[in-house]
Amino acid sequence: MEPQQQAGSGDAPPKQVAQAMDRLGRAARLIAEIRLGADRILEALLVSNENPRLSEKAAELTLGEEDAMRRHFLDLRTVGKQLEDSGVLSGALRSRGNSWGLHMPLVCPDGAVVAYAWKRQLAGQAGASAVDRARLALKAFSDQKRRFFPQLEDDQLNRSNNDTIKFPPTKRPRLLHRPTQSPNIDSTEQKPMLADILKSIQTEAPGVTISTYQRLEWSKRAESLALDQPKEQILSNLSGSFNEVAVIELVASGVFRVLVSLHPAGSTDPDAVAFFSPNEGGSYLHSRGMSVHHVFKHVTEYADKALQYFQSSDPNKALSHLLSWICSHQSLFTKNCSKCCKLLAMDKSLALLLPPVHRPYLLNSKDHDQDFATAYHIGCSSYDV
Amino acid sequence: MTVKWLMHFQPNQGTTLTSQVMAEACAVAESFPGVSRDGRWRSSMTFYRAVPRDQSLPAPSDLPRDLIGISLHDLPNEYLFVMRSQRLILRAHSSVQTVMDKLQSYKGRFFINFEGLQYKWGDFKLRIGKCLYNPNEALRGIVMEVEYLPLSSIDKSQRVMEEFYEIWREAVASKLLAGQFINTEVNFVEYGLGDSYTPQHTAVLYGMCVVQVIASSNKNQ
Repeated sequence: MEPQQQAGSGDAPPKQVAQAMDRLGRAARLIAEIRLGADRILEALLVSNENPRLSEKAAELTLGEEDAMRRHFLDLRTVGKQLEDSGVLSGALRSRGNSWGLHMPLVCPDGAVVAYAWKRQLAGQAGASAVDRARLALKAFSDQKRRFFPQLEDDQLNRSNNDTIKFPPTKRPRLLHRPTQSPNIDSTEQKPMLADILKSIQTEAPGVTISTYQRLEWSKRAESLALDQPKEQILSNLSGSFNEVAVIELVASGVFRVLVSLHPAGSTDPDAVAFFSPNEGGSYLHSRGMSVHHVFKHVTEYADKALQYFQSSDPNKALSHLLSWICSHQSLFTKNCSKCCKLLAMDKSLALLLPPVHRPYLLNSKDHDQDFATAYHIGCSSYDV
Repeated sequence: MTVKWLMHFQPNQGTTLTSQVMAEACAVAESFPGVSRDGRWRSSMTFYRAVPRDQSLPAPSDLPRDLIGISLHDLPNEYLFVMRSQRLILRAHSSVQTVMDKLQSYKGRFFINFEGLQYKWGDFKLRIGKCLYNPNEALRGIVMEVEYLPLSSIDKSQRVMEEFYEIWREAVASKLLAGQFINTEVNFVEYGLGDSYTPQHTAVLYGMCVVQVIASSNKNQ
């Protein structure tokens, strides 16, 4: 397969870095597809085991899925080769003299992406400020520290024991409920629990129905949405135990369906977010998927930036901020732009009529309640946030 | 189903409707950046009248005398009936037309065809069509259907559709067409229809719109 736009040494380093980021994104999407495919195959096996009558259908599904997986693996291999050639996996660009101070994103053998891979925008701007880079470096390194050296965290956070935090209390109380623990000086920095966050969002935004799912549960539900749209809004489906929750679904009737994935499952760290129309359904409905409608595509792109911002500025409360911000979109199709005061505006560069899809996400101060009340058209956004 | 609005063209007092207007309306649509033509569309409507079995007996009062049958472009396998007096809508398989022909309890009195061009514009779909009276293909009116693909709730899409309607009206006025597009206002609750948009809503819109088209074309003749 001919790799398109092979970045030769003639291309400027920003372009090479941008292409590398692009390919990494593609690889992540392929990996997500492969994961989903594996889930489906597993499910087909389980079903045919429980229900021998359905084993033929399960066999068909498995074969179909196998083809799809094979294709995804081939694509992944191609993308991997391209990345290898461009030096992402080996840090080759680093040693070249004229790299303009940029480095290719480096993917370590354990899968972590290092150095300037944190923020896409930087790839094109050689002149990003030192403050930005320092901030992003801090974020990336603290992410990695949390992931690989959990024992170096503060005692009360104790992330490596995440899976034993159960709600409601179970027979094995290995850890106390965090909110009632004896507070240290730093207790205000405690991470809230998933159940509490969801409860407070439900009271804050009663028009939005929140449900939680495990990963496999969600893929089944996404498929069922393609076949039959529920006529009336389903009741909120909160899992009994929050350990395995990997997907949070927020539905505002008639307005949107938003998916937020958590990584690792059961934690309160949002991983990805995507907006969809309430009448969409199918296997492409997941937190790294993309809606077919332009309005939701643009909101999702903007949401990615909001998520990165929340993660870097207030990691403990990133999920709360994100969910509040998402709930403010209930008025997506009714709230006028705060600048031009109209609902629909023609975006000249995109040649589309869109409602205001940019809702600023900057946080003012730590303890002030955000209401994310303003909305702007793409062309009316006064700053590139 | 995604939300639709239906408008018809009201020519200015004293002017007649010609095919030129249809071409001009399409030109307005094509003048927006990002609009792409998406093929043709065609729907049809039949006005049925009850045929009494026995001429001497009075017709039973609970049966409707008039019936409108509609075949929609986006549902080729279905046929919808609208009973305006009783405010009822029936959704059936398209083969019911053969049944109607065989039964002869209702006879088709006259027929109207809608046909024209379809456009895609971002999340909107526009369909501009001529309203042709069947026997002699006389142009009775021009209709425009606007569909907003992301939403299925009439309530939530109200503002978006209103603004689109304003944008469309301004564009038509600025291109100096001899008339304006008027939106078909329907109280769906009277027909027992809810907030979630369905083909039944479309059928009601067409039923109301055609009545207005015929009224305005009779006035102008």
